[in-house]
Amino acid sequence: MHADLGEILPLWSTLPFVGMLLSIALFPLFAPKFWHNHFGKTSAFWTLMAVVPFTILYKGQAVYEFLHIVLADYVPFVILLSALYTVSGNILFRGTLVGTPVVNTGILIIGTVLASWMGTTGAAMLLIRPFLRANSHRKNRTFMVVFFIFLVANVGGSLTPLGDPPLFLGFLRGVPFFWTFELLPQMIFVVFILLVMYFIIDSYFYRKEGIRAASENVDKEPLRIDGLHNLLFLAGIVGAVLMSGVLHWGEITILGVHRATVDVARDAMLIFMAVLSLLTTRKEIREDNEFTWYPMQEVAILFIGIFLTMMPCLKILQAGEKGELALLIRAVSEPFHYFWMTGLLSSFLDNAPTYLTFLSSLLGKFYPGVEAREAVVLLIEEHGIYLKAISAGAVFFGANTYIGNAPNFMVRSIAEETGTPMPSFFGFMIKYSIPVLIPVFALITFVFYW
Amino acid sequence: MAIEKILFPSRFRELAYESLETLFPLKNAGLKEVVFCHVISREDVGFVPYGGYLKEEANKLREEAVIRFADWQKSLSERGIGSKVIVNVGETVHEILKAAEAEKVDLLVIGRKKRVDGPATFIGSYAHKIITRSKFPTLVSKYMVQYNDQDATLTKINRAPFEMPLFAADWTERSGRVLDVIASLKGVIRKVFLFYNIDERTLEKSAESEIDLIRENIAEKLQDYCDRLKARGIEAEPHIGAGGMLDEMIRVSRERKASMIIVGNTSKDRLLSNILDRSLSYQVSKVSELPTLLVP
Repeated sequence: MHADLGEILPLWSTLPFVGMLLSIALFPLFAPKFWHNHFGKTSAFWTLMAVVPFTILYKGQAVYEFLHIVLADYVPFVILLSALYTVSGNILFRGTLVGTPVVNTGILIIGTVLASWMGTTGAAMLLIRPFLRANSHRKNRTFMVVFFIFLVANVGGSLTPLGDPPLFLGFLRGVPFFWTFELLPQMIFVVFILLVMYFIIDSYFYRKEGIRAASENVDKEPLRIDGLHNLLFLAGIVGAVLMSGVLHWGEITILGVHRATVDVARDAMLIFMAVLSLLTTRKEIREDNEFTWYPMQEVAILFIGIFLTMMPCLKILQAGEKGELALLIRAVSEPFHYFWMTGLLSSFLDNAPTYLTFLSSLLGKFYPGVEAREAVVLLIEEHGIYLKAISAGAVFFGANTYIGNAPNFMVRSIAEETGTPMPSFFGFMIKYSIPVLIPVFALITFVFYW
Repeated sequence: MAIEKILFPSRFRELAYESLETLFPLKNAGLKEVVFCHVISREDVGFVPYGGYLKEEANKLREEAVIRFADWQKSLSERGIGSKVIVNVGETVHEILKAAEAEKVDLLVIGRKKRVDGPATFIGSYAHKIITRSKFPTLVSKYMVQYNDQDATLTKINRAPFEMPLFAADWTERSGRVLDVIASLKGVIRKVFLFYNIDERTLEKSAESEIDLIRENIAEKLQDYCDRLKARGIEAEPHIGAGGMLDEMIRVSRERKASMIIVGNTSKDRLLSNILDRSLSYQVSKVSELPTLLVP
């Protein structure tokens, strides 16, 4: 009964989703203060625009679909992000690092590796302050933060569902936990090129700045990590997510929505890990980490709007050529189409809903009417390259703009707050992402998707 | 231990300047510098969803704070007191304690300067968090407060908090440190009330003769404290209370028209205050209409 809805939904039902995404893309750019004060109301407005007419028209079926997307996607998504954010916020790097090209490249490598295991947000929040502190004596720091955004806040998260929100949404739809390791060759390809470029640029500026002696004047504090026991909770999070992909404990019904018991257990474990992390870590560590709940509140508020407004769009796409977006489904046919379409949209819209939209379009294209989890299994078996294309597109292209992925703006915020000048929205694209990332993505296309 | 350097955080609320004025007399006791501190909440300017940091807004708020402080700095300068301004973006309590640590201040002055808006609780959430964690002598300033006394609602303006403090002594090493602080305020203090309370449990458990002995012993110790202060040129007067500590302290402070209450603030106090809101230092700060000086 529920699969048919996508075939009858009109195109206008996607307007609130478009409005929501455009609000996220345009308000921070053109009216940042208004957006800062009213993003919650804006999200509520678009949500009501989607929920009210939809519920009036489709009554019980609409309520079910909204509840389903909230309970099956939104709640686990927010719980995972919050758990990773909390645990990583309780780990603090202390000590004096002096930002040389080698040290900086090392930090970027560590961050890139960590991102797949503690999330791009977690890894970025863990390392950005030490990275900035290490380079506080350097004159040219902007490019460093930009490469940090490229690598730690985006590309590094491509290997596991913990790494980047789109991949977790894929995991919730049935993509196996370790399947995303298939992206390893592409990730190494991108990371290697970016690190070589970074090292060359950093070495150039380091020599030009001629401040090598400065490091000797600094009062050195030995390096140490506070809150290291939180790695146990991080392992707990990885274990909980893995568990939910392996075990099958039947289903339970919550508010009329069927959910796998193991998924509910996973969410409970994630909350438990976060609570344990909070209880066992000194408040001073969080304070020295400048930890605040605010970014998580923002994500929770914005994403309830995104998920609810997204539902009609997903349904139409899942209906494949029988739905109103048949044209789009027919037009996008080759894997590299999916790589670039998912990527370009992920650059300007949040990559999580973009991924889900294109995953739905793939399921609608190849397996219209088939239940989502079953269709995902078939997709991996028969057309895995398409899933790789949208996964890589969503994760990699999130680095193209400040709005492509949530940690981008957090890193920018922290960098600017601590006195590192950051380029404007368009400056970021023109000076960095277009000349650096787009050629790399073109190479990826020729090597992996042509 | 002289009070030479004070940290005065401000959110520029009503009567903040008047509260600052109450510190001017400390010049006579060796005050050399006031460090003003204003914290711009990170949530007001940072983490704009998908936008980053409101740099211009932060700069504007920073400039506003600097301009406002400049006026206060001028007043201090006219009185021969130096000053310095710190404006940071961050979490308020953390930034205030960080500034106190970095500046190595002798006194931290916190608290809302005007509280006339309801039932008697003279301490807000920020002040609570600070007193539970401050390792510095901390003055909970209450310039204008409304409080209930014998069913009447009264308004009190604490214009000269340092003139006649009441000190709740407990014979510990910390009490000795408080005596040093009091002695350093010689040019400002007119008289000190030294207070000790015999609690309800002691009264219940002890026979009448024992109570007399306890009282005599306490009177002797209080007199010793008085003598020590008198030897340093400060007039002091002993008072013994009996019953609930908090009620007794407040009763005596009102009867004697004390201008401030000074209590010790141990790490145990801070823990109790943090977890249970039960420490004496927190309770006094919360309930008494007088400015409260907590000495760790």
